[in-house]
Amino acid sequence: MTASDQIGSVTPVRRRPYGLLLVATPVLLVAWLVIWPIISAVIQTVWTTTPQGQGAVSLDTYSFFFSDGYSLSNLSMTLWTTGVCAVLLLVVCLPIALYLRFSNTRVAVYVQGLAIFPMFVPSIILSFAFIRVLGPNGTVDLLLNSVGLPHIRSPYLTPWGPVIGLVWDNIPLTVLILLSGLGSVSNQAVEAARDVGAGTLALLWHIILPRISNSILVAISFAVLGIFSAFTLPYILGPAAPEMMGPFMQRTFRELLEPKTAITQAVVTFGFCIVFGLFYVRSVAKNRAA
Amino acid sequence: MAATLAYRKLDWTGIVLAAVLTLVIVLPLVVVGTWAFTNVWRYPSVIPQEFGLRFWNQTLARADVWSSISMSLTLSFTVTALSAAICLPAAYAFARLDFPGRNLLFFSFLAGHAFPKFGLLVAIAGIFLQLNLIGTFWGVVLIQLVGTLLFMIWIPVAAFQAVDRRMEEAARDVGASPFRVFWSITLPQAGPTIAAAILLSFVGTFYETEGAWLIGAPQVRTLPVLMISFINNQPVIQYGAVLSVLLWVPSFIALLFARKVVNSGSFARGFGG
Repeated sequence: MTASDQIGSVTPVRRRPYGLLLVATPVLLVAWLVIWPIISAVIQTVWTTTPQGQGAVSLDTYSFFFSDGYSLSNLSMTLWTTGVCAVLLLVVCLPIALYLRFSNTRVAVYVQGLAIFPMFVPSIILSFAFIRVLGPNGTVDLLLNSVGLPHIRSPYLTPWGPVIGLVWDNIPLTVLILLSGLGSVSNQAVEAARDVGAGTLALLWHIILPRISNSILVAISFAVLGIFSAFTLPYILGPAAPEMMGPFMQRTFRELLEPKTAITQAVVTFGFCIVFGLFYVRSVAKNRAA
Repeated sequence: MAATLAYRKLDWTGIVLAAVLTLVIVLPLVVVGTWAFTNVWRYPSVIPQEFGLRFWNQTLARADVWSSISMSLTLSFTVTALSAAICLPAAYAFARLDFPGRNLLFFSFLAGHAFPKFGLLVAIAGIFLQLNLIGTFWGVVLIQLVGTLLFMIWIPVAAFQAVDRRMEEAARDVGASPFRVFWSITLPQAGPTIAAAILLSFVGTFYETEGAWLIGAPQVRTLPVLMISFINNQPVIQYGAVLSVLLWVPSFIALLFARKVVNSGSFARGFGG
């Protein structure tokens, strides 16, 4: 494939190497501040200097991570949060996307507006709103109290706090990605299936889901990448211990002043997300090239 | 789900979804807005005892609020200007010139998106530690600049490619200089999309919290960073509420201008959908 096939055509076919000069600065910036840090993180964590002054490969920092109870409980809490969020996002967003795809009422316009809206609410404002509504003596407590019911057990500072916040935050893009996938389900296919007597569930299972399975995977990959190392929401809404990987890395780096341990934790998060990351980036590249 | 596919029946699914989403998405923000304009709201009253602007005066009288507002604006302007200065010529080159490695370099901007973001930030912080950039203004500028590259290149590339080449060639044929063609034909057509990309990167930088917190705090204190410390340590609820309303202003502007872009199919495809 030539260059023009992938990112659009270039009419003057003459090669002009001075284009390289124009793209040099951003490309070097990516090389210096994205690619080099990743390589350097891996090298730093596996390469140690022995007391004799010689370099040697050593996986000590990783064996510490995977034998330290606190690190492991943080990792498992991160995995739990990511898994629960991914499932909840699908359960919440798939019905919304299906509804938006197959209706064109004025209510649908309103629903779409609301589903997109969290994209325009920074997560720091969301955190504050969460505490005011679901925190101790928050709005939910006020309303329950006014009708004589007992307080809720607040999810603030429990593992459910980050889950609720992260799901809220990720609704817009999940809905948009699923909706974009549903665009490939033709009305004819749906009507044909109806004509031969397919019920709603059969229609969903045999006609719709197979056609959007790729979009579902993209939506999940995007969500996993964002949630696995989320910082702000878990830092503010989550429990102090165990904590998710984001706040854990930040504390190790800035408060415990152990950059090497923090970078080891970062490489561990890379490892857990690499499949999702590569799949996601491949999908984006494929779409851009099309 | 039964009503999902019905066009003519009363849209019950829609009404239920609309009601639930209103409750879950709008209500929390209304609560914050109410707190910002409340002088007294003691438990267990369902509505505030006294509305008023008293805490606006108090919040705006705080020195830390003003210093972080000016820090946030300075950072966002610096990052956006630098990003535009290096990315727009690059976008033009990707759209119009052919050079060795064009494809590979174009897709290299995706590299950062294959990794969990905060992990990548920690890896970058490791590099900054050796360069003494931790806790400095330029350290934060660099880390936020990297975050804007993909959008600031990919969106303008699409804009330059959408320009009608026949008009440019016609102008060249009647003797216009390349610069004149760029200024009078190319820029007016690509301009609105490029402006949207610039606005998005300004707003994105304004709200960037994680890099600023990891690299900059406590020396470089942006508005979102100040907000974190208000949430953690400030017993007066209204300070946080007023700051939330102030903080939301750039997002509101983005909402006004970017809604059409966001609702279009190409936006979701840009995220791989």
